[in-house]
Amino acid sequence: MKHLYLLVVATILFSACKQKEEVPKEWKLSNIVQLEGVNPIGIAEVDGSIWLSDGDHNRLVQINNQGKILKTIDSLDRPMHIATDGASLFIPQYGRDNVAVYKNGNMEELVVGDSLDAPAGVDVYEREKAIADFYNNRILFNNGKNWISFGKEGKKQGEFYYPTDVQITDSLIWVADAYNNRIQVFDKQGNFVKMMGQDQKMNAATGIYVSDKEVFITDFENDRVLIFDKNGNLKQTLKDEIEKPTDMIIMNNTLYIINYRNGKLSSYTLNAVDHKES
Amino acid sequence: MKKTIIMTLVVGMMTMFGANAQKAMDKFMVQVDGLGCPFCAYGLEKKFKEFKGIKNVKIDIETGDFSFNYPAEKALTMEAVEKQVEKAGYTPVTSKIERANGKVEESKGVKLSDNSEGTIAKKVFVAGNCGMCEARISKAAKSVNGVSEISWNKDTKMMEVSFDAGITDLSKIEKAIAKAGHDTKNHKAQKETYDGLPACCHYERITK
Repeated sequence: MKHLYLLVVATILFSACKQKEEVPKEWKLSNIVQLEGVNPIGIAEVDGSIWLSDGDHNRLVQINNQGKILKTIDSLDRPMHIATDGASLFIPQYGRDNVAVYKNGNMEELVVGDSLDAPAGVDVYEREKAIADFYNNRILFNNGKNWISFGKEGKKQGEFYYPTDVQITDSLIWVADAYNNRIQVFDKQGNFVKMMGQDQKMNAATGIYVSDKEVFITDFENDRVLIFDKNGNLKQTLKDEIEKPTDMIIMNNTLYIINYRNGKLSSYTLNAVDHKES
Repeated sequence: MKKTIIMTLVVGMMTMFGANAQKAMDKFMVQVDGLGCPFCAYGLEKKFKEFKGIKNVKIDIETGDFSFNYPAEKALTMEAVEKQVEKAGYTPVTSKIERANGKVEESKGVKLSDNSEGTIAKKVFVAGNCGMCEARISKAAKSVNGVSEISWNKDTKMMEVSFDAGITDLSKIEKAIAKAGHDTKNHKAQKETYDGLPACCHYERITK
């Protein structure tokens, strides 16, 4: 009887372990929304709603699920890859060489203490901030107290050829090194850590988004989004309904990709891998 | 009453002088081809804004309409504008200047040769990356007398060109393209010309 009891317990434990085995998943296209008259470059989430920068029309727009514009922030000068800390919108103005901070209807300028030349991307993480300074080929990083700057024009590791986007995570800074066609990763002192995507024949790696487990990069001219694991191994390539992609974000387990040329917002969700297809 | 009349005259004259001052700007409109990458296009717009005296710089990426105002006293020529636009990375197709004195100057795109009995078609590899490259390659090939048709595929990097073999040859066309900054199978661009291309046009160079 004792043996039988142990056997039952072991069987339950075994099946519980088996249930926890991770099912392989991949991103699949789930929805497309046509944006009216918007050529999006950057995307950010504020209180569950999507804000887009519309560089061609010098504005930011807040949209609903159907892509309808709910609110507009005008009079900007080529706003690019935007970010938020939950309360404010940080807007790099490529044509005005500054980062605007928009909060409750007021616009202020982020004090950087250095001159920018066409800021193309900004990110905020807790009290930290980072700016992709396009024509200066560098990243500016503020650790909550001081600004540091790293990078210069070039093709070697740690050098940039027109960085267009940046994201800060817990211990790292991730850079879309656009025209070197790669991602570069740095620690928070600006030391080079690793690069990825350099072997994927990308043509303008313009937008970056880093989730808990994955790194997403837009391959602008090739109409693709590449997904890597944190070690730089390519996991998936997205092409469905993607045309001149510029940025992406994950909200409520949905990956939203914005497409500059056709003004579409493509949504992808994680689904179990269909082995019949592969 | 006298004071009111004088004041009215002064205000009127000031308005007239103000209007004349505003009118003393030439308006430049250039139709450019190959705009696609916002980073390069906005950057070029930004660089133009840095010219002293330039006003109302506007680029419509969708239509390729590029316009600006420039002081009439500087008598900026069509040729200089087109050269500057090209130097900045754009490929001008047509240009128009509305001078402050009412005169209008226009330049049309390159007229291609008609197909003749001696027309032949050739394919050749031309290095490039994007829509801006395509526009530049196309314009360079069209500038060669005898060329009647040209197309370049961004993905395969192959150019198909039709030309009158009695007037020109493939080597001359390749040379014109290389001069514009793009390596071809048989002719390489000068390093300085390549370096001067916008970032998005910096293709992988052909190594032999």
